[in-house]
Amino acid sequence: MICQDARRLIGAEPWATSGELAGHLRDCHACAEFQLEMVALEANIRRALEEPPDIARRRRRIMAQPRWALAASLAVALLATLVVWALRTDNTLAHEVVAHVVAEPQSWSGTDAVSEAALAEVLSKSGLILDATPYSVVYARSCWFRGHYVPHLVVRTAHSLATVLILRNETVEHRQSFHEDGLSGVIVPSTHGSIAVLAASSAQLDDLAERMQRAVRSQDVAR
Amino acid sequence: MRNYPSESPVSSIGVSTTGADADIRITRLFESMRPDLLRFALWLTRDRALAEDVVQESLLRAWRSREALKDPACSRAWLLTIVRREHARLYERKRLELVSLNDALEHEGGAFLSRDEGDVDALRSAILQLPIEYREPLIMQVLGGFSVDEIARELSLSASAVLTRLFRARNKLRTLYGLTPAPDGSGTEEPS
Repeated sequence: MICQDARRLIGAEPWATSGELAGHLRDCHACAEFQLEMVALEANIRRALEEPPDIARRRRRIMAQPRWALAASLAVALLATLVVWALRTDNTLAHEVVAHVVAEPQSWSGTDAVSEAALAEVLSKSGLILDATPYSVVYARSCWFRGHYVPHLVVRTAHSLATVLILRNETVEHRQSFHEDGLSGVIVPSTHGSIAVLAASSAQLDDLAERMQRAVRSQDVAR
Repeated sequence: MRNYPSESPVSSIGVSTTGADADIRITRLFESMRPDLLRFALWLTRDRALAEDVVQESLLRAWRSREALKDPACSRAWLLTIVRREHARLYERKRLELVSLNDALEHEGGAFLSRDEGDVDALRSAILQLPIEYREPLIMQVLGGFSVDEIARELSLSASAVLTRLFRARNKLRTLYGLTPAPDGSGTEEPS
């Protein structure tokens, strides 16, 4: 693969990975740099598109709203407020997870698989073991998050990269999904706390989260 | 403004006359997607009234074809596809009066509400100014979550042409950030 082809692929799908592209990125520092730039730009493009453009009406329209619609809107707004209030703690967790991931953009530039020893060391800081998964771990670091060290991994799926945070000290009662700063994510309960999975696209998040749920084990249990 | 036929339960959620649970569920499902559809349509049309028309027509069309939606999990992509087609249909039916976005930005001060200066706002403005052939696949990919192959099928283009359009769209946006555009050696697009 030549640089021009690599950059066209990266420009079209900044998060995408393929064996051929990954091989090229390993050897070409300039293209790896280009991918980093495009991934950063992509996060801003997603953020820009998340909100509808502020386009005012060019034509005045009168929408006759039946009374029940107004009442229903109020009820929905009230319900939404209550839900947001009830979930405020969990939303904070999701928000902090996203903030942590966004603050570590170099995590997405890994192309080589992390060695088993390095991965085991990161996991052992949290007393965890990871069974084999179909994914290649291209980034592994033990990060300080909410008063504890947590494994921060980036895995390569068939289509793109995804971030996994194993939050041993955070519990959630049920699956939560979120979309923030151009990232889609889920936090799922786990035998060992919870697991957050984030990626640019929501596709396959649940599948990845489920596999990680099954793969994560405690060192204590393993002994 | 169009007159919507009273048969559209989607435009009047909650007053489904069928009373069937399935219809109520699908009405709620469609209505829950309305903000996403409107956002998608706004980025395509760059006109709020037109976007609302497109979404309304799309929901009506979707309601009429609701039997075709076998898996509710696919409803978002299905509805976004209908919105895109409805938008394209507008241009097929009649030549719309086109307004230069630059002129609109310059002369209609209030049409585009001013926001804080910043990278993301500049990017939003730049995305709006991308030609539709670049803006449409970019929005489909980023907002709609469509793959390159799906976009190619929907736009009747080759996957290679879609890759080129996506690359060019982002390459144009790169310049906004003071980044050097990547050399565009992709040549002319091959028709599918």
